[in-house]
This record gives sequence, C-alpha cells and structure tokens, in this order.
Amino acid sequence: MSSGRSRHRTWDWDSPQCRAQLDEVFFRRHDYIQAGSQDHKEFWSFFDRFQRFKTKRDMSGSGSSRKEAREQEGRDKRKSGKVDLDLPKDYDARYRINVSVCTRDIEERMGRSGKGSSGPGPQETSDCRLALLHFLDFSQKQSFGKLAKLRREQKSLPIYQYRSRIVDLVRRHPVVVVAGDTGCGKSTQVPQYLLSAGFHNIACTQPRRIACISLAKRVSFESLNQYGSKVGYQIRFETTRTTATKLLFLTEGLLLRQIQQDTTLAQYNVLIVDEVHERHLHCDFLLGVLRSLLASRPDLRLILMSATINIKLFSDYFNSAPVLQVPGRLFPIQVIYQPIPSEEQPSRSEKLDPRPYLRILQGIDQRYPPEERGDLLLFLSGVAEISTIQEACQVYATHTRRWIVLPLHSTLSVAQQDKVFDTSPPGVRKCIISTNIAETSVTIDGVRFVVDSGKVKEMSFDPKAKMQRLQEFWISRASSEQRKGRAGRTGPGVCYRLYAESDYDAFAPYPVPEIHRVALDSLILQMKSMHLGDPLSFVFIDPPPAASIQAAVTYLKEQGALDSRGELTSIGSLLAQLPVDVVIGKMLVLGSLFNLVEPVLTVAAAFSVQSPFLRSSQQNPDCATACQPLHSNQGDPFTLLNTFNAWVEVKGERGGGSRKWCRRRGLEEQRLYEMVNLRRQFRDLLKSHGLMEPVYSAPSGGDRKQRRERLTERRKLHQLKREHEQLEGSRRKVLRLEEGQEGDLSSGSDTEEAGKGRKDKAGSGQNMDIQEVKFKLRHNVSELQEAVSISQDLPSRQQALLKLLLCRGLYPQLALPDEHNSNRKDSEQVFHTRNKQGVVIHPTSVFASDPEVLHVPEDETREMGPDRRDSSRHQVLAFVTLLETNKPYLSNCVRVPALQALLLVANSIDSNADCARLVVDGWLELELREAEGALKVLATALTLRAEWEHLLQAQLKQSPAGEPEVQGVSRRVIEKLSENLVRFLLYTEISYSLRRLTAFQTQNLYIGPRPESELSQTEIPDLKPLFPGAEAKPDPIKGGLRVTSFFTYNCLADSKDLYSECLRTFWTCPNCDLYMPLTPLERMQHEASCRPAGEQQQLDKDPEDEKVATSSSVSSLTRVYHCDVCNEDLNLTSTEILKHKRQHMYSTK
Amino acid sequence: MEHNTTETPQKTFTCQLCGLTSPFTYYGQKPPNTRAIVLLEECFMTKDPFCPEKEKFLVLGSNCSLCSMCVCVGLDCSLFYTKRFCMQCVNKHLDQFPHQIQAELAKKRQSSQAAVS
Ligand SMILES: [Zn+2]
Ligand SMILES: [Zn+2]
Repeated sequence: MSSGRSRHRTWDWDSPQCRAQLDEVFFRRHDYIQAGSQDHKEFWSFFDRFQRFKTKRDMSGSGSSRKEAREQEGRDKRKSGKVDLDLPKDYDARYRINVSVCTRDIEERMGRSGKGSSGPGPQETSDCRLALLHFLDFSQKQSFGKLAKLRREQKSLPIYQYRSRIVDLVRRHPVVVVAGDTGCGKSTQVPQYLLSAGFHNIACTQPRRIACISLAKRVSFESLNQYGSKVGYQIRFETTRTTATKLLFLTEGLLLRQIQQDTTLAQYNVLIVDEVHERHLHCDFLLGVLRSLLASRPDLRLILMSATINIKLFSDYFNSAPVLQVPGRLFPIQVIYQPIPSEEQPSRSEKLDPRPYLRILQGIDQRYPPEERGDLLLFLSGVAEISTIQEACQVYATHTRRWIVLPLHSTLSVAQQDKVFDTSPPGVRKCIISTNIAETSVTIDGVRFVVDSGKVKEMSFDPKAKMQRLQEFWISRASSEQRKGRAGRTGPGVCYRLYAESDYDAFAPYPVPEIHRVALDSLILQMKSMHLGDPLSFVFIDPPPAASIQAAVTYLKEQGALDSRGELTSIGSLLAQLPVDVVIGKMLVLGSLFNLVEPVLTVAAAFSVQSPFLRSSQQNPDCATACQPLHSNQGDPFTLLNTFNAWVEVKGERGGGSRKWCRRRGLEEQRLYEMVNLRRQFRDLLKSHGLMEPVYSAPSGGDRKQRRERLTERRKLHQLKREHEQLEGSRRKVLRLEEGQEGDLSSGSDTEEAGKGRKDKAGSGQNMDIQEVKFKLRHNVSELQEAVSISQDLPSRQQALLKLLLCRGLYPQLALPDEHNSNRKDSEQVFHTRNKQGVVIHPTSVFASDPEVLHVPEDETREMGPDRRDSSRHQVLAFVTLLETNKPYLSNCVRVPALQALLLVANSIDSNADCARLVVDGWLELELREAEGALKVLATALTLRAEWEHLLQAQLKQSPAGEPEVQGVSRRVIEKLSENLVRFLLYTEISYSLRRLTAFQTQNLYIGPRPESELSQTEIPDLKPLFPGAEAKPDPIKGGLRVTSFFTYNCLADSKDLYSECLRTFWTCPNCDLYMPLTPLERMQHEASCRPAGEQQQLDKDPEDEKVATSSSVSSLTRVYHCDVCNEDLNLTSTEILKHKRQHMYSTK
Repeated sequence: MEHNTTETPQKTFTCQLCGLTSPFTYYGQKPPNTRAIVLLEECFMTKDPFCPEKEKFLVLGSNCSLCSMCVCVGLDCSLFYTKRFCMQCVNKHLDQFPHQIQAELAKKRQSSQAAVS
C-alpha cells in the first residue's frame, strides 16, 4: 500500500497529532500566528466552523447551471464595448480575500505528489491554507468593524462639528474656553484634535485621579494606540509617563506641584484644565497661578473646559477669552415638581419621612410597564438619609419584586459602590439612592427617572471654632439642572423635584466654590512656597474671605510652618513640598528624626485615607469581637497601626487570604491597599528629602536562584494583571433581586454573597484577586514585614515617644476632658478644645467605647477644694479632625500626659513668679502643688525642647544635601534625647490641677508691661542665657520676661514682683556643688546649663558627637561675661557667672 | 489627497467615500513582521489597535483598481474581488460581477432602504 493513500485515509482533522503537523507548517515560532497563542486557538475553532460550513454548502450543491448562465452574460457584456474588468469566470469566495499566505514550505507541500514523506499532503495543506486565509480575512473584518464603529461614534459626538474651529481658536488665542455639557465629548476629543493638529507636550488636568487613568486609556484607544506610550497619565501613586509622552492626564494638585519645581512649566506647550466649573480648591488656585504664568509664557496655550455653567466668569478672568459653546446631547426630560406636603416634612431632629419617595416608586410602577427599561436615581443629602429611605424602599421592593435598591456614597466599600453599574434582571429596575456623588463624579447609564430631594450636605469650615462642619443646604440651580440631566443620557426621561418651582427659582445660581468653604492652610502654605506674595492680594477668580486667609496664616504660625513675620520656616518649606496635610507632614518630619519612622509612616498613611473600619460592620457583634485584639486604648492611631501590622502579617503568610481576614473583621481591604501605597510614597518622599537613610543591603537581594524565582513570579504577576485588564469592562454582571436586601442590615452576610457571586465567573480556573496582584508587584512583602515588625508591640517607652510625636504633629488640635466626665455616662462624655466647648468623641473612636482610660484615677486625686482636683495623671487628647454633623465630633484621637505634653509642644506657656501656676496657650491652667517640683519640671521641659529643636533644625538643614554619610545629627545624641523625653513623659510624678480658664480669667490674665522707669531703676538680674540661644527680654504685652519664643516668665496677674528678693530660696544643685539662694529663674538657668558630671564627660569624649556636642553643650554654655566689679571680660558658663556674682555679693556685705 | 507621501509627519488615510480617517503606519503589499503573509494589493495599514499586546496589522483601505479613488475596506465603500473596486465602480459595472455578488449587493441595498424608510 502506498503511504500516501494510507495517510489520506488515516488523516483525521480532529486528531491533535494531525493538527500539530499542520502547526509545524503554518504556525511556527516566527509566523504571524504562533502555535499556542490565543489567535492559534481561535484559528482552530474557526477551522471547525469553516469545515462544517463547507460540508453543508457542498451538500446543497453549487448550482452549475447558474454558473453557465453568468458566463454567458459576461460574454454578452464584453461584446457591448464596456471596460472589461477581467474577472474570473467562476465565483469563488476566496477571490474576495486580499491576503495570501505563501512560504516555500507550503508551496513544496502543496506541490508534492503525496508520496514518500510523512505529514499533511497537498490536500490537507491546501485546506488548511484556505481556512487560514478566511480566518485572516475574518479577523481583519472584525477589527475594521470595530474601527468603523469607533469613528462613527466619534463623529456623532456633538463636539465633532467644532473640531477645526477649536484647533483654530487655540492657534490664535492664548486662552480658550470650551463649554459643553456632559456627553458632548470634550474630555476625550479635544486632546485628540490637538494631537492630530500637531500640538504636543499637552497636559490635561482632571479633578479626580480615576478620571486621569480612564481618560488616558480611552484616548489612547481612540487614537488607535497609534501614540502608544505617547498618551499617559500621572497620579499620586503611579505614572505611565515616558519621554515619548505627548499627552499627559494628571490631577490638578500634581500640576501645581510641578509648577513648584518648574515655575514656567517649560515642559508643556498646551495645558487643558478640565471641569473648571466644579470649582475645586486646587482648580481655582491653579487658574490663578496659570493666569500670572501666562505673562511669562506667551507661547503657552491654555484651554479651559467647563460644563455650560457660569462661563462668563472664566472668560472674564482671562481677559475676555473666546468661548466656544458646544450643545450637549440630552434627550428631552420632563420635569415634575412634587413639593413635600408639610405634614411629611421632617422636623430638624427627625428622620426623613419616606412617603414622598415611595409614592414616586409606586407611580412609576403604575405608569410605566415593567418591560420598558429604565432605572431610577434618587439624590439625597447624606448617608443617614440614604439608609432611612433605603430601608423603606427595600420593604416596597421586596413586596413588589420590581426594584433592586442600591445605596451609593463614598463611605461604602468599593465592591458595594460597584454594584450600581451592574444590570438588573428583566422587569426589574434599579433604584439607586445616592449622595451628590452621582451628580458629576459617577456616571451611571440607563437612568430614566431622577428624584431630586434638592438637598446637599456640604463641608464648610468655621475659622472661629477651628472646626469643619457638615451641613445640609438647598442645592443650586446649576446642581439641580445637573441632577435632572442624569435622566436624559440614554433616552427621554423624567425628573421629579421634591420642591416647588418657586423654591427652584430661589436657589442660588451656582454652588458655593470650595475655596469659600474649606480651611486654606495647605493652600496658603503652597502659595508661600511659590513666592506668590501676600495671599490677600493674590488675584483669585473668586477671592476667598479674608478671614479665612487670616485664619490659615495664624494656624500655620501655630504649627510652626510660618514665622512671626509670616515667612516660611525651614520646616514650613519642607511641609510645602509634601503633598499631605500640614499636620501629617509634620508628623513625618518629626518621626524621621527619632527612630520611629516606620510606625509614623503607617499612622500618617492611615490618617490620609478613609478609615478601613466599615461603619456598618462595627455594629455587627462578630466583627466587633474579631476586631477586639486590634484595639488599643492608647488611641485610634494605635488601633490603625495594629490593624495595618496584622494585615501585613496576614499578607505575608496567606497572600490573597487577607481578603477573608478583612471581611471577617469588617475591614475594607481597599483602604489598607491605599495605606500601603501611600506609606510607600511617604517613605520615598522622606528619602528624597534626605530625611530617611536609604536601606542598606536590601534583604531582597538574595542569591541568584532567589532572584530568578522572584523575576519569574513578577512575570507571572504582570501576565495576571494584563489578563485582568483585558477582562475589565466586560464584567458587568446581572444583579439578583435579593441584592439590596442583604447589603446594609448585615454586612456579615457579605462574605457568603461575594462567594456566591464569584463562582459563576470562575471560568478562568482561578480566583484572581487583582488587588493582591498589584500589591505583590508594587511591594516586597518580606521587606514590608520587616519594616512593620519594628512597630509591632512597641515597648511602652517607644509608645510614649510616638504619642508625643503625634501630639506635636497634631498640635494645636488638643482637647481637654471635662472635669465631670467620671460622673457621666459613657455616652455623655464631653470635651473642650480651645475654640469650641462641648465636643464629643466620634463613636468609631476607641475612647467612645472605653472612656475610663481618660478619667483621672480616683485614688490618686486629692480634692483641694470644690473645683480643684490634683493628680499626676491628667491627660489631654490630640485629635486629627473636629467635624460637626449633628454634633461636633472629634475623631482619630490619641491620649497624652497633660503636663508633660503641653510643656513640650505648646506655643505659649506663661508662668507666675514661682512657676507653680502655668497657663498654656491662654486657655489651660495648671497649678502645681510644690513650687520646688514645678520648677524642676519646667526646667527639664525647657532643656528638652531646646535640644529637640536644635536637632530638628540640624536635621532639616542637612536634609537637602541628602548625603547620608554626613549625618549632621548623630544617632547617639538622638538616642540620648529620646531617652530623656521618655523619662520625662513616663516618670514625672508631680501633682497638679488642670482646668480651662473662664472667660473672665482670660481677660485679666497678665500683669501687662511695666513702665520703663520701673525697669531701669532695678538692676535686671542676669537672665539672658537661661538656656542656649535664648534671650530673656521684658514681654511688651504680657509683662514679665519673655524667656524663649514660647515661655514667658512671671507675667501672670498673680505674679509677685519680678525682682523681689523674697523669691530667693536656698538651693543645692544635684549636679554640682552649688548651694546658694536663687530666684526660680536663676535656678532654671543653672539647671539648663549644669549637666551631671558623667553625662557631660561622655558627651565630650564621643568623637562622633563632636559636631553637636561642641555646639550645644560646651561652647554654647560659656559666654563672655563682663564683670563690672572686676572690670574684666570672663569666659564663663552661666553657673560660673552666678558663682562669680555671689562672690562679690557676699564680699561687699 | 496624497497618502503615500511618506514624508508627512502624520500620515493619515482618508476614505474618499465615507470620510473615515485614521493614521496609517505602512503602505504596500508586505505588512511588517508578518513572515508568510502577502497582500494581493497595495494597502494602507496600521497596527491593529484592538489587540494591543500582539503585533497585528489592520488593513484600512486601498485605491480602486479602476478609478484609483482611495477607499476603505468597509462593505459600503469597496469590494475586493481579485482586485479592489470602489462602490461607485462596482455599481457602474455590476453586470460583470458574479451572480453571488450581485445578489448580495441587491439584498444589502434592500435592507438599507428598509432601514431608512
Ligand atoms: Zn469608506
Ligand atoms: Zn472606482
């Protein structure tokens, strides 16, 4: 038998071996399609379909009679003298394919007689090639179809008509305003028009990070990736920017930071500022900066893009810039005013009445058949309102089975938020109950009905109480229109307004811009560092109230970021470069000085993101129990620290298992991912500012094998990430009718539910957690574990120091527990801040559930009278936020020992003559029982502060150089200081009372300045070198002596005569032999300079410490003293001066 | 429009019938990095944007073999039958095309008219 025939008989298209033989011919390693690839798999499945189709066609017969007829026709035509197209006589579908595949290998096989060699013969090869041609043609048609569809969509956008006009305007004018409503396509198209017109180095700002990513992806896609890496984005954690980038999407805040580095923005030719109508703080400021920047960059092109809101404002601000207005693409929307009848109006303290909302749902069910699709979007002011209405709607939905009720607000977990994009089953509508987040930030397609409560909760800042306030307001007409518009995106819609038309007419035209509502601290700090001059005279598009600016300046002074003249301090200029809140920046800087960087990084990151503890789950007893070991009664930052550390440990041990771990504890894992990213960014920031030593010999190095393994793992992770990205978008699932019922009431069931939902799409075989993949790509878990282990189970000494750092960072945000708290119920504990009395602890704080730890222990107090309780255990709270909702709440609190912390961080400490009475920041009064002890505590605090300040300044000064070898501040000196601070914090045993001053007391607090004459009469005791660098002068306002920038001696109204000899008491210095009668001030002065003999020696000997030691302990202690009696200049320490003077005193007597 | 002047910085293909435009990266019969693949006409091509991972080409269009009009490969604009024909030329010489194609076009015309009316 000939091998050819036997092969032909045994050739089986379904056999993998046979196919593999063809793979060897067509799909080799360098071919267009390679064996094993996705395309290859698709080819073979196409092949099967193609073969089936061919068989079917062959069976039905191709009709040869027709063929003849056609040929006949063709001949006829040729006779008629027309152009001959010279087309083949027989129709063959393959003539319609413009691709051919040909290699020598194929040719050879096809030309073979079919004898002698193994593998596919001519027939098989030819069949396969034909199928391949059809497959290529099919793929081409598919891709081209997508392209054509994309182009059709682009053309149908309203803005398309204006593309050449836009380009033309931009060419001719430095500033152009493009105004168009949602859906006109401006954000995606304008950058593309500019790119294709030849502009490059384009930056486009967005108020939201997420928009930067999605726009970069979209524009890159729409421009067919032709620009490849030329379209990129840059946000807080990540960037895709390369040198080839021509169009960059970035946040407003980031562009501002870039201006700080590159004052003329030379890196860009075109700036597009999108969504200017949203009037975010950063955006308003950015516009102001750009306005002045344009003068030095006449070539720069600026395009402002806005909704059709208040366009004239922007045009006028930029010298009547031309405006191009693009009509939006909205379907008609019917507006129905349905004001809430008075009996259903909620009174101030009551919950919302759900009846008006339910009536609308009912009305929709009656009026519109369920098969007409269209969801409902309901706007309410806040989370509490949402859950009230959600509950009522859910009852209705369960009953009718025609609705799925979903809440939407920013404090929901990401997964819960995501549900609003899923689709509902047929005959069922989604009822999305949202805050104003759905007004502009989140766009949900398929909404046909909008219900607008007309209310919004907005954050405002009260500069007087130093407090943020979340208040409910009527919305503006602009917001109202925006909400309405959400009903007409995909078809005609209906908007129900729960207010009267006359209310609408009375609304403000536009929302209050953010710059009028928020604290301006960061803004002012940034302005200072950008040398923009007096913030009061800066030309804002809509200037903030002067009081707000003034409050910010004062606050920054209190924080130590600005000096008394309003100029940036060295810490201030560093803070201005950190893209975080001032308090958080301060914490980072302080943490970097001591060996507490790791925990401070974590706490700073935790303060910058939303709490990972989901509100709803904390009411679930199981979650609460599971969370218990994470709680620390030292304060919320420690709970957050424990939580983060525990999570990192779980990640190290169980990787993706952390998801379950979080769910069991009611933690939103997304926040922990944010924290770990932010933490990494903070670390990089500190490193780049030379505030952190680079890690020596990275433990990740490992041997070659380990490195290779890690590399392989990374490659795998990248693959997973890509696969995920491809899957994204095609993932919308259909909601179940029960969806809404589970959500809020018991988040515990979330576990089960998520598991169920995921099963059906486990097609890819493994349950991939993309967050885990990204986490692994970004972080080295073992390195992170190591870093974290440092801050795990901090010894109490470290804990005390960390608390002090947090307190200094957060200062002046301090609160005093009310003196009667121990007699009150747990839920009625009251606190006071300097500017706001009667605030409470937020229920999420550890001190809300465990307030006893703040009480002064009974057995230690000594009643000194009706209003005075002495103890050595008084505490104050340092807090991150004071926010008033229905009550003023403190959140993220940490407790610190009152006397010690206040003496170490307060900006103003005033004393009476014997220093037994102290007033801190003009509102807290401390009375110490023993003057002796009081003096000692004060003197220690002054010394510690001076040392601390000195080291901090040294650290900040050397930081820009960033050379780690030349560490100006030696480790030993810092260790010494931290030890002394800890000793002071933990072992100061002195009894004192602590209370707020009354308004009357504050008025008559100081003795006031003494008349000149009186001063000159008395010999001023030598007080100058109280401690290094200090100069004591009479305080011009308070009276007494200003000893340091923060301490004024003997200025309180009950003070005795400053120079009275009766203040002198005999005293023995514990460190030297000195024994003589000294005034309190003289004693402090001595104590500041006199060190225990051993300590001093040690300092001197240490060569490493030479630099600091010479500057702070030896040389600065001696100074030139001119003795009038001896008439001689003496180089003495202050103690020696005292001794010297005493000598004369006694000798004269 | 001259499409094959490779000097222009941004090479753009535009279909003269439907107006579809797109940048193209290659004009010719041999798409880059494709080994055995040869095109049977000179085409405007770009990198397939819909499979960004892989190096795939996408034919945008070519010139009509009769009138040299530049047309895209969309079914409304051109037809390939051993050569490229723009729709105008196809309609002019419809009778020379095989039955299958004539029937197909007639059917398409009908359905598009139905859609319009
Ligand atoms: Zn076309
Ligand atoms: Zn033609």
